[in-house]
Amino acid sequence: MTGWHLDDDALRRYVERTDSLAEGTSVEQHLLSCEQCRARVTVAVDVIDLAAVWDRTRDTVEVPRPSAFERLLRSAGLPAHEARLVAVASAFRGVWLTGVAAVLAFAALAAAMGHARGEWLFLAVAPIVPCLVVASSYDPWMDPALEPELVTPYPALRLILLRTIAVLTLALPAVLLFGLVVPGETAFAWLLPAVGFVAVVLAASTWVSPLRSAIAVSSSWLAVVSLLATRPGSPDAVLQAKAQAGFLALAAASFVIFLLRRRQLRQLRPWR
Amino acid sequence: MDSRPGDETLLLAVAERDMGAFRTLYERHAGWLAIRLARRCNDRDLVADAIQDTFVAVWQKPQGFRGDGDIAAWLWGIAIRRLVSRLRTRSSVAAVFEKAEAAPAAEDQVLLSVEYGDVGQALARLSPEMRAVIQAVVLDGLSAREAAQLLRVPVSSVKTRLYRAKAHLRAALAEGSS
Repeated sequence: MTGWHLDDDALRRYVERTDSLAEGTSVEQHLLSCEQCRARVTVAVDVIDLAAVWDRTRDTVEVPRPSAFERLLRSAGLPAHEARLVAVASAFRGVWLTGVAAVLAFAALAAAMGHARGEWLFLAVAPIVPCLVVASSYDPWMDPALEPELVTPYPALRLILLRTIAVLTLALPAVLLFGLVVPGETAFAWLLPAVGFVAVVLAASTWVSPLRSAIAVSSSWLAVVSLLATRPGSPDAVLQAKAQAGFLALAAASFVIFLLRRRQLRQLRPWR
Repeated sequence: MDSRPGDETLLLAVAERDMGAFRTLYERHAGWLAIRLARRCNDRDLVADAIQDTFVAVWQKPQGFRGDGDIAAWLWGIAIRRLVSRLRTRSSVAAVFEKAEAAPAAEDQVLLSVEYGDVGQALARLSPEMRAVIQAVVLDGLSAREAAQLLRVPVSSVKTRLYRAKAHLRAALAEGSS
């Protein structure tokens, strides 16, 4: 405190903005260090509704801070309420992600041992991981948070697609990363099947629950892979051009079905 | 006055999630911050948003104040940058630095010493654009990039205007002292 304070005229001109730059600057400089003059200025504030801004500020800080993932979604341009809806999916909880990562790590490790059986294991597991995660991200049984969402007028299609995209952006890099330690072309050959299975699950969930369709798809794939594994030949052979084209067609067809039948999404009708 | 805790005490209490201390801090500082921001941006909703952002940031990171200097100056540093980032996400708002009719007659100028000094007169003779740049960069301490966002002009214009404004001031002061 200097003992020197702004006179009332200077203060009034400052608040009314009828002063010059030089005067305003020296007022501002003084305000930075003088609590008493700050208090006098505050009394005169009419530019904003301080009480209303306080209410908003308090409301904001009292809401728990969004998770890191939710903040990431927001910075990707998603509106706050949608980021929340996407992020609450159980698929994004730490435990679930850790489990998925562990399964993948084991499969990749087995494959890295250079063992044909290990490669088969990776081939069996990697393509079905994304569709299982996607299914669990919007299955009401897995996700109690969906209950209130069902009664709110929110486009289910948008929610499911948003969550699917979010899941894939999380799951695919992880699977890809593990794929790097897997020898041979197996490492990337599973990508199209994975996309195909996700599309099948989306389409099938217009008839049955997402989790059931994902389980059905996964078990069929496991059955096919184990059947092939009993025959001689490299795992790579399964995923050559022809088969890959087949998976691409499967993905496209399923997605079209899903879009055509989106009004029948099981999620909208409680099926439990 | 002993019953009134200082700002630093309040800030420590805010770090302990004390809503009462937070409110006191808000009541002490939101007002003058709002006025100072409003002198740089004529959109009051935006000023209100920037004030809200500022205090939310304080609540989330009270340890951002490292104990050097005044809390008021620290708060201002946050507030002006929050305003800049709010401006960045809006396209229709123009920042204003002075109202057109704002310049008071010379004889009405206050008795603040700077007004009588050469600097005050030299500043008054600058064009509004140059004054705006001087205010943003020299007085508010923004970077050229931040100033450009606040004033909605390209960074290069900020730099040239700043350069010219400094040259003007230098010339005016040299003239005055000779």
